[in-house]
Formats: sequence, structure tokens, C-alpha cells
Amino acid sequence: MTASLLNEDQRDCLQEIANVAMGQSADRLARLLDVFVVLSIPNVSVLTPNDVAMTLNSLQALDGHEQQLTGVCQGFIGDGIAGEALLIFNGTDYRDLAQLLKYDNNAENRSEILMDTTNVLGGACLHSLAQQLDTHFSLGSPTLLGEHYDIPDLLNKREVTWKNALVVEINYTIEDHRVNCDLLLVISENCIDGLLEKLNYLLD
Amino acid sequence: MSQDTELSHFLKDVHWLMDILQNIDVGLVVLDQNYEISLWNQFMQNHSGKAPEIVLNQTLFSVFPELSEDWFRRKAEPAFILKSATFTTWEQRPYLFHFPHYRPITGTARFMYQNTTIIPLMNTNGQVSHICLIVYDVTDSAMNKLAQIEANNRLEGLSRIDHLTQLYNRGYWEQCLEKEFKRFDRYQIPASLIMFDIDHFKSVNDTYGHIAGDDVIRMVSATLRSQLRDTDLAGRYGGEEFGVVLTNTDTAGAVELTERLRKQIENQMVVFGEQEIKITVSLGICELNETIDSYQQWLESADKALYYCKEHGRNQSYSLPQTP
Repeated sequence: MTASLLNEDQRDCLQEIANVAMGQSADRLARLLDVFVVLSIPNVSVLTPNDVAMTLNSLQALDGHEQQLTGVCQGFIGDGIAGEALLIFNGTDYRDLAQLLKYDNNAENRSEILMDTTNVLGGACLHSLAQQLDTHFSLGSPTLLGEHYDIPDLLNKREVTWKNALVVEINYTIEDHRVNCDLLLVISENCIDGLLEKLNYLLD
Repeated sequence: MSQDTELSHFLKDVHWLMDILQNIDVGLVVLDQNYEISLWNQFMQNHSGKAPEIVLNQTLFSVFPELSEDWFRRKAEPAFILKSATFTTWEQRPYLFHFPHYRPITGTARFMYQNTTIIPLMNTNGQVSHICLIVYDVTDSAMNKLAQIEANNRLEGLSRIDHLTQLYNRGYWEQCLEKEFKRFDRYQIPASLIMFDIDHFKSVNDTYGHIAGDDVIRMVSATLRSQLRDTDLAGRYGGEEFGVVLTNTDTAGAVELTERLRKQIENQMVVFGEQEIKITVSLGICELNETIDSYQQWLESADKALYYCKEHGRNQSYSLPQTP
């Protein structure tokens, strides 16, 4: 780990919380869509803006297409914890996803499908996270990436006000469907105090 | 504190809250599990022109038949089932409720663009018995963003197009060429490249002047444009040199185009003052294959084919590699 935003215990605790959030949100997704969701282990790391940009680029590269990043981001804030959830789709067949979400018409616009998935996945995961931390997040309106925002570009060009951020990366894959997405929860160092306090409380 | 004063404080608080809900500049609608309306604030009343007594206890879909029930249920169900907020934005669907835009002077939109948030409301048992629909008027920011997108598109167009020929300029055309090359690398979809130029163009300039030269270039590019399919990418590569990327086209298809183009240009003339200028073009073709390992090499091969024409009498097309 490059910086010590968290100590070992806090990190383990957060990892555990992320595991549970992943499990719960996957369970909800599974029930809502009537599918099996393949579980993986969430990854907790501390990244610089550049690292985040590189992570996003690598997700994009996995996609094999040279398009812009497809995804949605949504801000969350509450109880001294604030950050942004990025849901990045790669290797996703939108027709498959549309079918799962019960859109009869494949021509349904793609942003709609992305938004719906964000509502379900991002919402469920953040809800579970907040619940475990005994708090409640206010969620901002989700924004589509790509069309108006190029995230790696934003992180490189704009003056970013943070040096390190806590990043929780969760991968969701739906069995027997070409649907794969990564949920990245990015909490910058300026907005982490509330989280540390909660983690310490849980550790005591 | 006596119970009476406590009660009066409580009532005062509720009264304030109700006042705020009524006057806040966002729409608030509370719906039960059957999508029947239980709360309808002033904002909704004013913009829809429907009074609470008309809409209360009616289903949302009977009051607003134009609202797609399927669509809305898909947005609202996660709030009931997952107990988490869901969102819709004007970018996916400009509005949920068709509220005409009401400001005669500063309003430029025909209707109110809306973002909405659907939040679950829990009853005392922790069950989601109702949901609250919050409607934000985002007309101004939507209009700004749309204007920005339009301006960006226009700028992008300007930076891509060569003014004289209305074809792509060299920079953008080379990007297209590179993209097509990579696509072939990945999917093996056939692609051909044509490089062509105007024969003895220098003497046109020397004899008739540069303005006549420009007219000739304009005629050639207009003829080229008239022959292109939507997927073909044509650019002005240099002064009198042009490049065309033909997607999903093999050598035979490319030759068909070059010959048609060549004959059409040969049969036209540019009238300049008293003068009638006739010109011809030479065209080199190269179909992409595995032995070509960069787009630059692809360009070179097509150029080589073009030089072959130049050396063998001009006014012709030639393709490389030659099929036996």
C-alpha cells in the first residue's frame, strides 16, 4: 500500500464490510433479475488520482474496444463520509443486459439501461455499506460517463484536490450472460475521517 | 413543560414542515404500492394544473396516461424491493410529466426538463409502504448542456473539414485511416485505400492561375463526394492529392469506384472565364492484407500504385498488390 490512510485493522474491517455489501447487493440483484451473480472478493486499495485514471484505462482496455469508457458515476455523502461510486461496464453485451432488465425492445437506448443497472447495483451496495456503518447516505443524481465526461482526462487535467483516495473495487459478473461490471467506490482522503471513526467503533 | 405546550410545539413544527413542502421549488408526489397518489404538493399542482382533490387516491397512470407504466414501474420497483433510492435524468428521458415551459421571455425550451429521484418511505415496521417521487426542474442546465454539445459538435466539424473541398482534412482523415487499419487487425473486415491526384496539376496552375486551380480541385472533390457511400471516408491529403478509405470493400469494389470516378472526371470540364479546362486523374489502390503492418505502410503501398499510373501514361487506376 502506497500510503497509510488506514491501518491494517481498519483495512481488514473495511474489506469485511465490502464483502458483506457485495454479497447483499449481489443477492438483491439476483432476486430482482432472477439470475446468478458470480461473487468475487472486493479489493481495497489506496490510490493516487493517476492510479485511478490508470485503473479506469485498464478496465477500458479489457473491453477490447477503443471507445470511451462506458459507465455511470454517482456521488454519496453522509456522516463525515463522502465519495463517488463509479460503475464501469466492460465486456458487457447490452442486448443481454436489456433482456435481463426486461426491456422487450433491443433498440431501447443504452443510457437508460446503464442508469437502471446503476440504480440497482450502486444503490443496493451503498445502502448495505451505509447500513453496516450505521448511517445513511444521501445519493446524488447519477451522471453518464463518456458522453460529457472523460474521467481519465478529468483526473489528469483538472486540479484535483486530493493526493490519495481509498478505492473499493467490486466486480459483478452475471452467470450465463455477457454482463460484467466493476463498481469503484472512491473516497478521497479529505472525506475519510467519518469512515475511520466508524471503523474504529466497529473494531472496539 | 405541560403536555399542551408540547403538543402546540409539535403542531407548529408540523405546520412549518407542511408549509415548506408546499412551497419548496421541487415537485413532491407520494405514491403507495398501487401507485395511487397520497401527496401532491403545490409545485405539482401549479405546473400540472391539476388540483390535489382531483389526483389524490387516483393512480399515477390514470392521471397521466402519457407516462409509460412499464417504464415507471421499472424505475420504482427497486425502491420498493431494494429500499434504495433510484434516479431518472433528463438525458435518458427529458421529462416524466409534460409540463409546458412557462417563462415567456427567458424560457427557450418547449417543456420542463426533469430529473427525478424516487425514495423509499418506510412505515413503522420497516417496510416500504410508499415511495416519494421528487421532481426537479432542470430546464436551464439541460438547455445549457444541449447548447454546449451543439457548439462542440460544430467545432469538431470545423476542425475536421477542409474548407476548399469540404472533404476531411489531412489530420482527421489520417486518424480515420489508422482506425480502419486497427479494425482490420482485429476483425479482418476487408478494406481498401485509394490515393489519387490530378494529372499535370502544376501546369493547370501555371497556365490558368491558382484560382482556376482551385476551381479544378473543387470540381474533382465534388465529383468524388457524389460517388461516395456513407461509410467511405474521403480526405484531402495534400494540395491536389486525395485519399479515400473504403470500408468493407475489396480490390474489385475499389476498382469499380476508381474507374467510375476517373471516367466522370475525364468527361467533365471546368469553365474558367473564356477557358475550358479538361483534366484527368490517376488512382492507386491498395487492399489491406496481413503483410501490411502499419497504416503508414498501407498509405505507402497505395502511393506506389499511384506512381505506377504516373509512370505508365496517367489517367488510369492501378492496384497493389497485383493478384496473379
